[in-house]
Amino acid sequence: MNFLIVGLGASLGAILRNELTFLQSKIKIDFPIITLLINIFGALLLGIFTAQIHNGALLLLLGTGFCGGFTTFGTLNMELSQLWFQRRFVRCFLYFSLTYIFGILGFVIGIQI
Amino acid sequence: MKERGKIFLLVLIGAFIGSNLRYLESLIFKSASGFPLGTLVANLTGAFFLPFLIHYLQDRYNLSSRVILTLSTGLLGSYTTFSTFTADSYRLYQSGNWMFLILYLTMTILGGFIVAILGNYLAASRAFSDYVKRERVK
Repeated sequence: MNFLIVGLGASLGAILRNELTFLQSKIKIDFPIITLLINIFGALLLGIFTAQIHNGALLLLLGTGFCGGFTTFGTLNMELSQLWFQRRFVRCFLYFSLTYIFGILGFVIGIQI
Repeated sequence: MKERGKIFLLVLIGAFIGSNLRYLESLIFKSASGFPLGTLVANLTGAFFLPFLIHYLQDRYNLSSRVILTLSTGLLGSYTTFSTFTADSYRLYQSGNWMFLILYLTMTILGGFIVAILGNYLAASRAFSDYVKRERVK
């Protein structure tokens, strides 16, 4: 049963992430801003869910499932390595710093509001 | 509209499998010490395989854009997670276990970057050795 709950939540998160990723090609900013915003917003949301939801199954659906499937660590590092190989070190460092600082800050804010 | 439905379904299948692999690992690697080994293992293996998939396996096995969507955006995208990483870090900070916190942050942040670089290198090296083999046959 837990596997169904996690899978369902993650599927919704991943579909939403995929829809948002299409925006990256539409906007004219040469920076992986969509993944950055997805990860920060997902961390903030997980913070809120962790603080507000006390039902185990619901937290599994929205936390482990939805937020886990919505945010991504693989794409983050894929994009970081691409910037690295393109020798765009400033952008790489900026993306790296913004993700980790505001990502962790997002969760902390989420769990405390 | 039909195409959109297919995209939804492919991402759904990939995400269903990926997230449950991660969930399974979090259960397998659950330890009394409280170190989030499951998330770390999922994130590092996923960060390694994604560039290898995109830069090697895709060409090597002529994978269609649909297969790639399922495996990259769906499966590996949901197998790895950023939000759980922030939650784990906060939990370690709250418990006051500085050793674990520093270890977890370093291994995730630096480790994730390093394995992604390694995944790219492995992809390039495999592609090169395939090319050399093909040239020899000619």
